[in-house]
Amino acid sequence: MKLPVYFLLAVLPALASAAEVDRAKAFGNPSAPLQIELFSDFQCPSCRALHLDQLPFIMRDYVNTGKAYLIYKEFPLPMHPHAREAAAYACASARIGKYDKVADVLFQSQPSWAENGKVYETVASVLSPADRKKVQALAKDPSVLGEIERDVQEGQQERINQTPTLLVIRNGRKYPIGGMLNYDLLRRFLDDLISK
Amino acid sequence: MTSSRNKALTIFVWLVRLALGGIFIFAAWSKLKDPYLLFAMAIDNYKVLPQWAVLAVARTLPWFELLLGLVLLTGRLPRISSAAASALLLLFFGLMVRVYAKGETIDCGCFGPGEAISPATLARDGSLLAGALVLTGLSFRRRRPKSRYVPSPIPDGAATDQAHF
Repeated sequence: MKLPVYFLLAVLPALASAAEVDRAKAFGNPSAPLQIELFSDFQCPSCRALHLDQLPFIMRDYVNTGKAYLIYKEFPLPMHPHAREAAAYACASARIGKYDKVADVLFQSQPSWAENGKVYETVASVLSPADRKKVQALAKDPSVLGEIERDVQEGQQERINQTPTLLVIRNGRKYPIGGMLNYDLLRRFLDDLISK
Repeated sequence: MTSSRNKALTIFVWLVRLALGGIFIFAAWSKLKDPYLLFAMAIDNYKVLPQWAVLAVARTLPWFELLLGLVLLTGRLPRISSAAASALLLLFFGLMVRVYAKGETIDCGCFGPGEAISPATLARDGSLLAGALVLTGLSFRRRRPKSRYVPSPIPDGAATDQAHF
């Protein structure tokens, strides 16, 4: 009898922490008809293109209108040497509510830090001195690193093998969309799903 | 000697045809079970067709694959079905090689979504293409009256094995 209680005591704080982080990296209405999980790598050029060119439209047409709930998932690829470090800073900044700001600057300046490895300097450029200290410390926190690992494992379970991948979920059915996106086709697909 | 060789060849051809037919049917099913726009996005990633053609191909190609798979399985129209399979696989393989050579990472679109083009997908589609080409070569070759696989003239109505290629 005691065993399940101990198990719950051990697991509940971890679940609560994960849910809190998810909210910091999620946008829109959690009860929206569509859930979109975006598995992305900060050093991947196609992810940069998606973030800068198509994501603003997805936010405008689906997330801000309550049609979709967007959740960012980290999926740093082993072939990108600075991707995991960038993901750590992004997740750390999510803990202080600055995920979108840091994600924006990481993608905008990707060609530069991917070349010179100055990931922290890039992140720091959009943070206040107090936030910089917090983010720097949090980026080494095992719970933040564990969160990245959880996202990666989740992606592997979903058999995601490229970035960016949008995992669109509607009524429990999952539709992975990988690679570059044609927004017109994506819009037709999402509208079609919502109408069903 | 020639007869046993003919038998072995017939079995080989049937095996290749069953494998190709089964794979085409599976490929069709994996696309038809999802909304066609999902496949349209995979086709669009190859950047070879305008959007109206992408939508047309996304709607029709899975049905064509299904039909081709069924024809291959039944053994009807051996020349047409094997040549169509070869042409289709040659087109798919060529497009995949082109994308891979350019260093792009996109969805293959071969068996539904979620499979990026990689050396493994190229090896798989290359093997299918090789099988289809062999099948096409044999189906045309065996129709020749003086082929070494058909050494003597065959009486009318007795060439049942040929009808199955």
